[in-house]
Amino acid sequence: MITQTAPATPAAPPSPAPPAARRRRRPSAFRTLSRVLIALIVIVQVYPLAWLFLTSLRSEHDFATGDPFGLPKALTLENYARAFETGDLGKNILNSFIVTMGANILIVLLGMMAAYAIQVLGFRLSRLVRGLFLIGIIVPVQIALVPLFIDYSTVNLLDTYQSMIIPLAGFSLPMSVYLFSSFFEYIPRETYEAASLDGAGPYRIFGLITLPLSLNTVVTVVLVNSIFIWNDFIFANTFVLSEDLKTIPLGMQNYIGAMGKVDWTATFAAVCVTITPLLLVFLVLNKAMIQGLESGATKG
Amino acid sequence: MLPNRSRLSVLVFLLPPLLLYGAAVLFPILQSLFLSFFSWNGISDMEFVGLANYVRMFTADDVFWRSFFNALGYLAICLVLQLGGALLVASLLTSLRRGRELIKTLYLLPAVISTVAIAFLFVRIYSIDPVGLLNQLLDWMGLGSLERAWLSDVNTVLAAVSAPEGWRFTGLYMLIIYAALISVPKELEEAAVLDGASRWTLFTKIRFPHIRPVWITTTIMATTYGLRGFDIPYLMTNGGPGQSSELLTTYMYKTAFTSTDFGYASTISVFIVIECLVAVGLILFMLKRKAES
Repeated sequence: MITQTAPATPAAPPSPAPPAARRRRRPSAFRTLSRVLIALIVIVQVYPLAWLFLTSLRSEHDFATGDPFGLPKALTLENYARAFETGDLGKNILNSFIVTMGANILIVLLGMMAAYAIQVLGFRLSRLVRGLFLIGIIVPVQIALVPLFIDYSTVNLLDTYQSMIIPLAGFSLPMSVYLFSSFFEYIPRETYEAASLDGAGPYRIFGLITLPLSLNTVVTVVLVNSIFIWNDFIFANTFVLSEDLKTIPLGMQNYIGAMGKVDWTATFAAVCVTITPLLLVFLVLNKAMIQGLESGATKG
Repeated sequence: MLPNRSRLSVLVFLLPPLLLYGAAVLFPILQSLFLSFFSWNGISDMEFVGLANYVRMFTADDVFWRSFFNALGYLAICLVLQLGGALLVASLLTSLRRGRELIKTLYLLPAVISTVAIAFLFVRIYSIDPVGLLNQLLDWMGLGSLERAWLSDVNTVLAAVSAPEGWRFTGLYMLIIYAALISVPKELEEAAVLDGASRWTLFTKIRFPHIRPVWITTTIMATTYGLRGFDIPYLMTNGGPGQSSELLTTYMYKTAFTSTDFGYASTISVFIVIECLVAVGLILFMLKRKAES
């Protein structure tokens, strides 16, 4: 839209062009406009999160009566104290960590193996297997809920870590297979041929060449999948009942008290505590994560 | 193909991943298909009912159709916010000289936050008593007449539960489209500018055709994610008030785990799978054909 309107208004008063601007006037007006627009959009994107953090530092009374946009009258940490009293945040975080690690190990190892078989070893039906993996990217995860619930209850897997790890890993596997196979394409054939001539078989080549070379892709796969697994709600909500196994998203629901009444400031404090681990990883490794997300779609 | 490979080695590498994938994804799909021909509450004996579940779904279940159209509305809002927003911000970002990395990071931030937290957050944003962010904003802009309890109004609730989903992932699609946009060859753009092309022509004639493959991928991603939307409506309104924000996924979930009607829930699951495959097929068909013409 903006691209349409900007050239149509050349008569607009020349904005005070920054010294860095080029000679022509039009691009600089366009640039100012796009800066303002980007700033607005970023505010919409980030403000709710900043507000959430501020609210977690507000007193309950201030929150219930004050102007929602206003700054807190006084900062308090008592919401955090209440958050830790109400729920078992430590245990929730530990459970999320176990599930995320478990699923990631499966996704990386099995994804790499499948990609190795498809891309490096090669076999007659490899196109068919690729196609099968595509189904997992397209279909929604919810279709597995009823069948898995029934299967788990026959093999006594309901209410275990595995009940969450298996479907989370299964549905993330296709993306991992695609990322690894597109990376394996870049490993030159000669490397493999030389190793083969030296008498290395497929297992040694996997362990000595493919595995060490793919470490960067491993980081990408882990980062991208961790966002989804750490925050998974639906599998945990369906398969887990006991308090001891609840992951963070389920633990959050403990803050809804009787009659649906919510202790909002404590809830927001709990939210702030639980998003911190992933947020830290994201902020520290955001370059790797951003690259991963970009390449995931452009190559896959 | 590796020269020294054996049949056995292929199997050693391929079987474990296929086992997990089969158990978690492929087998459940077939199981759903099988269960959809039965009536079963999980306790009593399964009873074969043939196509009765399908007949009931298509001809006698108003809630199913309501949820289906709601899901399409939900999808439409998500697509506009995610793809439209992503394309707009990505294009604007290419005209910036500094701060691109910072904006990318900030814009992606909501994607890291769990749906439960987002649901809590948006319940407060939409709230009317005490006045939430949205209603307060409307008040300041002199649009006080629009203030309402967004989540209990049957006319706004669907949009209200769709917007957080759109908001959450627009950063992800923006990254992908941005990466494609900066890979457009500079010489092409410069040549077009020398020929006097406007920004709009530059975009429609050079940039967009160049990123079309990526655009197809992102459209498919956004569509399949939109069709699997569940958490936010389920947590914020549980489909209500009435069925105003019921999606196929939430309806299926309730049929299975509240009414314990596993057979009928599986029928809805099968419909969801087919719906997704058809949607992806349609996108490929339409966008590919446009590219050829």
